[in-house]
Amino acid sequence: MKLTVPHLGHMDIFLRAMSRRIGPEFIFPPKTSPRTLLLGTKYSPESTCLPFKFILGNFIEALEKGADTIAMISDRGPCRLGMYDVVMQQILKDLGFQFDWITMDDTRLWSDYLIRFNRERKKRGVSVWDTLQALRFSWKKVRLCEAIEKSVHKIRPLEVKRGETTRVQTDCFKLIDEASDFRELVLSHQQCLEKFNRIEKDDSRNLLKVLITGEGYMVINPHANQEIERRLGEMGVEVTRTMWFTSQITYALHLDFLNPRSKRNAIKASRPYLKHNIGGECSASIGYPILYKKDGYEGAIQVLPLVCMLEAVAKNILFRVSQEHDIPILTFSLNENLAETMIATRLSAFVDLLQERRERKKNG
Amino acid sequence: MSIRIGIPRALLYYRYFSLWHTFFRELGFEVVVSRPSHRSLIEEGFKFADDDTCLPIKMAYSHTFYLKDQVDYLFIPRLLSLEPGTCFCPRLAGLPEMLKYSIPNMPAILDPYVDERYRDSRFSHALSKVASTLGKGSKEIKQAYQKGEVAYQLFRERLKRGEKIPELFSESKRESFPLQKDDLMKNIAIVGHPYCLYDPYFNFNLVKILENVHVSIYIQEMVNKEDIDFEIQRLGKDIYWTFGREILGASLHYLHSDQVDGLIYLTCFACGVDSMIEPLIRHKVKEYGDKPYLCLMIDEHTGPAGVLTRLEAFLETVERRKVDRRKA
Repeated sequence: MKLTVPHLGHMDIFLRAMSRRIGPEFIFPPKTSPRTLLLGTKYSPESTCLPFKFILGNFIEALEKGADTIAMISDRGPCRLGMYDVVMQQILKDLGFQFDWITMDDTRLWSDYLIRFNRERKKRGVSVWDTLQALRFSWKKVRLCEAIEKSVHKIRPLEVKRGETTRVQTDCFKLIDEASDFRELVLSHQQCLEKFNRIEKDDSRNLLKVLITGEGYMVINPHANQEIERRLGEMGVEVTRTMWFTSQITYALHLDFLNPRSKRNAIKASRPYLKHNIGGECSASIGYPILYKKDGYEGAIQVLPLVCMLEAVAKNILFRVSQEHDIPILTFSLNENLAETMIATRLSAFVDLLQERRERKKNG
Repeated sequence: MSIRIGIPRALLYYRYFSLWHTFFRELGFEVVVSRPSHRSLIEEGFKFADDDTCLPIKMAYSHTFYLKDQVDYLFIPRLLSLEPGTCFCPRLAGLPEMLKYSIPNMPAILDPYVDERYRDSRFSHALSKVASTLGKGSKEIKQAYQKGEVAYQLFRERLKRGEKIPELFSESKRESFPLQKDDLMKNIAIVGHPYCLYDPYFNFNLVKILENVHVSIYIQEMVNKEDIDFEIQRLGKDIYWTFGREILGASLHYLHSDQVDGLIYLTCFACGVDSMIEPLIRHKVKEYGDKPYLCLMIDEHTGPAGVLTRLEAFLETVERRKVDRRKA
């Protein structure tokens, strides 16, 4: 069995670490490229959302590389994610690919997956202790990657040589990905920290802070949002985003009660604007700007795929949030015709606006 | 003067109007429904609507805008789910807030929260909560709801029998050209969201045009629930959208049966449900291979000529197929 999964944040680093320790074999799709999107767009129904097209492109490229089993998550609405599995299977079969498909959703109980996982584990002769260690190890890797991303968000706007931080970030991910046990991981972490210390910084800059919120896939994947984080960083803006691989998992397992900026709290904050949580990230996208405003964030950017079912609701309500909480919100609804200049122009106009607001406030 | 409750003629109005009408009228309220869609009414509301949504939602904005100064309350229910395991499009669930925050000077909104998956948010509970905030007693409410329920069942029965209910099958003043008549009688199934199918402005009087050229029309409401369930089970994938399930089940039923000669799927641009259901239907049509299929996607820029050309070509295909089969 050669499993494949779509790209989603640092999920590949997590699964690669797992598979090196306890199996099964994974074949990851190549890094998402313009070709991926081209393939995805060509074979998708025309009015689906951008994540569908990216993920379909990922699968086609992974099958070309020799994967034979696809694992994909699913849900029970109201977002169209729950229908991805049937439609994608049909498209891939029509293209002549041979593959098995595993849908992971909550219609079958999670215990069912645990039992299956356990059976597989016994077949391969891996002990429970090793499994738990592998889980802990992979989790730690992802946590480290996310910690690196968070420091990149802080350091990039301060860098003197443009592009240096991005280079360091790529190197660090590679170092972490290559570490094969806990000791190596600690060493690579130290190396990463040294690398970050060596970056030349200009600490005198007074940075703007901007939050990136919106639909999960678009927020977490730089290839989907046109590297909005890097672009803003290079304009001298400190960013943070609302969606992380680990935060999604802790939310699902109800382990995020200590985090004041959790999705749960964001949903609570959205209550005055949207009375009921209608699913997906809709309520959270409304709540996050309210939460982060208290942390001194001066603006927010909502990224959504064009024709998204849920985020369109949030978009309409965010107008009012923006007025009442005095926080400018820029909305990007993206489809496959990604015009880079459009994004760059709108971002720089937004940053100018934030700068001007700050000046005005300072002068009274 | 009695309280005036406004109901926009849009979206789920086309499914539940008999229930809502009867319920509020029985309680002694005055019910005001916006006029059938026409050009100036629709275009006036567009400036408040967001361009990321679909045409039916934009039309709901227009109808709400038209009503807002004439009524004391606007009735815009928030429907999440009517059956366990199914749900509506999330845009319908967020509609009250979307309207409230986009259109200025809105009257108070009555937005009962309907989610049949939970006991205290059933349709009856939600409606009675609304009525009791307007000062009605629980006995009155119960009676009114029962009458509404009866009216709704009657409406569904009539639809199933193929009756053309005037509230649904009205005619719009929207410009469109008649098609050429021919003598061969054709049976054609039209599927799609009720608000696409029954708004003649939206679909350029599609039903009237087809009836004028001797086409008898079959709609998804004529298919039994059991048949839909059966088809969905055979597909092997549980469809969780209420309308998506209906549309897919009914189309598969019609594709299997000899009742109809062709299938038309009426859809609107940016509809999330249709974007996933349509490829499935298209695939099945290819698999069965003997019924012509037309997918009409409509947005606010669609002109009548484009629709009619495609309709004409489709009807010709249906006819040729029918003649061929008779010869064979």
